[in-house]
Amino acid sequence: MKTRKFKYGIAAAMIILSLAACQKVINLDLGNQSGQLVIEGNLTDQHGPQYVVLSRNAPFTSENVYPPVTGAIVSIKDNSGNTFPLTEGPAGTYSVPNLQGIAGDTYSLSVTTGGKTYIAQSVMPKAVALDSISAHNDLFDAGKGEKRITVHFQDPPHIANQYRFVEYVNHKQVKSVFAFDDEFIDGKYVSLDLEQNDINIYARDTVSVELQCIDKPVYTYWYTLMQQQQDNPGGQVAPSNPPTNITPATLGYFSAHTVQTLTLVVK
Amino acid sequence: MTKALLSAFLILITLCCFGQKRYAISGTIKDGSTGEQLIGATIRIKELPQSGTITNSYGFYSIYAPEGEYTLLFTYTGYKPVEQHVSLHEDQKLNIALAPSNALAGVVVSADRPNNDNIASPQMGVEKLSMAQINQVPVLLGEKDILKTLSLLPGVKSAGEGNTGFYVRGGAADQNLILLDEATVYNASHFFGFFSTFNSDAVKDVTLYKGGMPAEFGGRLSSVLDIKMNEGNNKEYTVEGGLGLISSRIKVEGPIVKDKGSFMVSARRTYIDQFLRFSSDSTVRGSSIYFYDLNAKANYHFDDKNAIYISGYFGKDVLGLKNTFGTNWGNSTGTVRFNHLFNSRLFSNTSLVFSNYNYVITSYLSNADFQATSQITDVNLKEDLSYSMGNNHTLKFGFNVLHHDISPGDISSSASSSFNDIHVQKRYGFENAAYISDEWKPSNSLTFLYGLRVSSLFLLGPGTFNTYDAAGNVTDSAAYKSGQIVKSYINLEPRFSASYMLDDENSIKLSYNRNTQNIHLLSNSTSNTPTDLYVMSSSNIKPEIADQVSTGWFKNFKDNVYECSAEIYYKWLQNQIDYKNGAQLLVNQDVESQLVYGSGRAYGIELFLKKKYGRFNGWLGYTLSRTEDKFAAINNGKYFPATQDRTHDLSIVGIYKLNDRWSFSSDFVYSTGNAVTFPTGKYNVGGLTTFSYSERNGFRMPSTNRLDIGATLEGKPHKKYHSSWTFGLYNVYAHRNPYIITFRDSKTIPNTTEALETSIFATRIPSVTWNFKF
Repeated sequence: MKTRKFKYGIAAAMIILSLAACQKVINLDLGNQSGQLVIEGNLTDQHGPQYVVLSRNAPFTSENVYPPVTGAIVSIKDNSGNTFPLTEGPAGTYSVPNLQGIAGDTYSLSVTTGGKTYIAQSVMPKAVALDSISAHNDLFDAGKGEKRITVHFQDPPHIANQYRFVEYVNHKQVKSVFAFDDEFIDGKYVSLDLEQNDINIYARDTVSVELQCIDKPVYTYWYTLMQQQQDNPGGQVAPSNPPTNITPATLGYFSAHTVQTLTLVVK
Repeated sequence: MTKALLSAFLILITLCCFGQKRYAISGTIKDGSTGEQLIGATIRIKELPQSGTITNSYGFYSIYAPEGEYTLLFTYTGYKPVEQHVSLHEDQKLNIALAPSNALAGVVVSADRPNNDNIASPQMGVEKLSMAQINQVPVLLGEKDILKTLSLLPGVKSAGEGNTGFYVRGGAADQNLILLDEATVYNASHFFGFFSTFNSDAVKDVTLYKGGMPAEFGGRLSSVLDIKMNEGNNKEYTVEGGLGLISSRIKVEGPIVKDKGSFMVSARRTYIDQFLRFSSDSTVRGSSIYFYDLNAKANYHFDDKNAIYISGYFGKDVLGLKNTFGTNWGNSTGTVRFNHLFNSRLFSNTSLVFSNYNYVITSYLSNADFQATSQITDVNLKEDLSYSMGNNHTLKFGFNVLHHDISPGDISSSASSSFNDIHVQKRYGFENAAYISDEWKPSNSLTFLYGLRVSSLFLLGPGTFNTYDAAGNVTDSAAYKSGQIVKSYINLEPRFSASYMLDDENSIKLSYNRNTQNIHLLSNSTSNTPTDLYVMSSSNIKPEIADQVSTGWFKNFKDNVYECSAEIYYKWLQNQIDYKNGAQLLVNQDVESQLVYGSGRAYGIELFLKKKYGRFNGWLGYTLSRTEDKFAAINNGKYFPATQDRTHDLSIVGIYKLNDRWSFSSDFVYSTGNAVTFPTGKYNVGGLTTFSYSERNGFRMPSTNRLDIGATLEGKPHKKYHSSWTFGLYNVYAHRNPYIITFRDSKTIPNTTEALETSIFATRIPSVTWNFKF
């Protein structure tokens, strides 16, 4: 988080440089590494259907259309050895109705497709309450009425917590990853800015923030993606596929997490 | 092993010490107008064509001959040569003052006589730049820049536009030892790397060793950049300075006691932040962004045999956003040196050196205030001796004791802040070394330079030290008391160079050297950030080791007016460091758990053609090279191109002096793009378009090329003062050199993705500077 604060400074430096800088969209020959299995499994603490989505990745140059993987055998197993099979529908989306994750329990995902079985485990953490969200004038362009969103919550002391936030502006998801751990904030009442350059926020916009409490491997997955974001002005790290909790390794993750959403109409 | 090497070494030296009685002529060579000592000036005995030596870092020389009548010739680039008759019957002293050959312009067009030092010297892989040349080469915004100019030499590659980092023969940017008056400069950049910390007004001499490292240097794998500050004029007071587009600078120098001591103070400050006042955004208007630096030096010569030098550097970058955020970072160094001449053969220099790099980041946000600090402080005691044995042997030996004190990171905050106070344990250690080397001329055409350096690291308590397994889990944890040795490493570093002169204009050279590195920069960011973190070797991090062999052919023609060379090198690298995915390096007590280790190799050929003299001078350098890394977890453990791998690298520099008032210069660069990792596919997780990657550094950035031009107009000669104008045009044909390429969802075509290329200096950038001196 300190690094993110630091990026304000770099942003200021970039403003000066932008006097001479320019950007353009270019064509690159990026080859074609498509057809890899992508597993996205989520299990929440909310009562209801839980989803696992199977797809294949696509070449960079084609449309954002990802072929669904159909006909797979998908199941989730809980702490007590109960197995819940997931059924497909629509194509590539597998779900189980009426399953609710319990804090502290370990869940295992099993996906069998193309003659291979993929296994992943995730621990549902204890929920941490999102106290409130608020809007403040943005650091830059405040004159134009731009706002930034701050989240407020009490971090429980002496235990490691990891958080992921998902931000929506007028029901549209902000294309930015927000993943934090409590290394610098353990036990504190925390106010954190969700800094993003994707959607400008103004008065009368409806902003929703979902807080997910995630386990350590899932945090590492999202944190790696966050470090590789293209709007990471602190300098990018050499990108790579984030470390997955799925074995054998493939693209994607399996996350057992808590969910809480707060909504705010910006004044 | 150590014993065997040492005894072989001693036998070799003893064997060679015979022959007729020789006498020494020794002394100091100075600039006649300012009293500055000249480093690397040449001394030759006309009657003994193959004799010759150069002055050391303090302008001191000694040369030997049997009893007789001789004519000594003293030369230095940019100065009128001096001939002096000597009747040699005993050891004698001879101090010489050389007059600048073109005091007005300081341009290298001079009447000085071309020499063939580059052919005769056994040292290879060395680059020397004169300040006159550095001042002529056009640069961004008119800020003369030593590091940028160095990157125009073969084998030296700029880390990129807007980055003063440089790569030498495939080494990473942190594998260069940058010394300012013997003090390590940890972060040699200002303003995120756009400018270097070296104010060229204050610099006297720049030498870069990229291979065949002399034994007196060590501690880094790939190069030593040895920068010496000006001593100051000991004849008269002068003030000079310049007003530029983004910065101004001033230098004052003069005698403390005429001909005995002098001082120099040089300062520079940018005013980039003044541009912020024009911004329409109130936060930007209320922000600060500037840097300044200060160089100071004084010396006093007690007598012919004793002299003291005190020098210091202080630089700071300041960057702040109104009521939100502030940061500053900078280096400070201090050096006290004492020269003592025991006799005409034994010269000693004792140095006490201090060096510090620190950064402070402050957040003023309510509920999220904090201050984060980090620093590294070195104290180094160094003793260097050189002993001329007369019979074609010059011995150099010495030792140093270097203490590191590293505060990796501290965070302090108010009670209402979201942040906790965090204190990462300080780390202490000693990096000690001893060396001996001998330059031996067994015949007129053959010269050997060989030596041995023993380097060591002692990582000391107090503190808790963890050992990690490959997955980053703690396997062992132990608490150590203050001063207790946690881990120690001792490495032997043999150094060897040989040169054989085929004739006066041709020589071949060969060298081998081993270097080790015990202090490592951790940074997994591709850009230059001030949050540099240094760690010492430990039970997890092994000393980095490089072995380099190189060979080259050196040729001069047209009476040494042209120099050309071809050098080939091959380097093996061990214990190289990379980072795990998602590594968190800042303020992390367990930072060593975030690292992975591998090896590397680098090889290439460097071609260099230089015209040193005449109205038109300049050089052409070309490097064909490959640098590869190997890490078990990356690309299936196969060799892959390192980020700094550039297949082709070409630089052309031309300087033309039209008349006494106008001179023109230009430089052109071309290089293959960096090896980078681009996505090969995409998928969707968490509602976001996410890119998939198939191999590390499997792609190339587009190649870079750029032409810059400059002109200098000297003011009309005037008794009291002198002024000049420097004009520059950066990126003459407005080429869009890529700075970074990023990938995102298309802003124009829905449901597709696009690659976005950012160029930072995509336009012509003019500059003008007014310089004065009185």
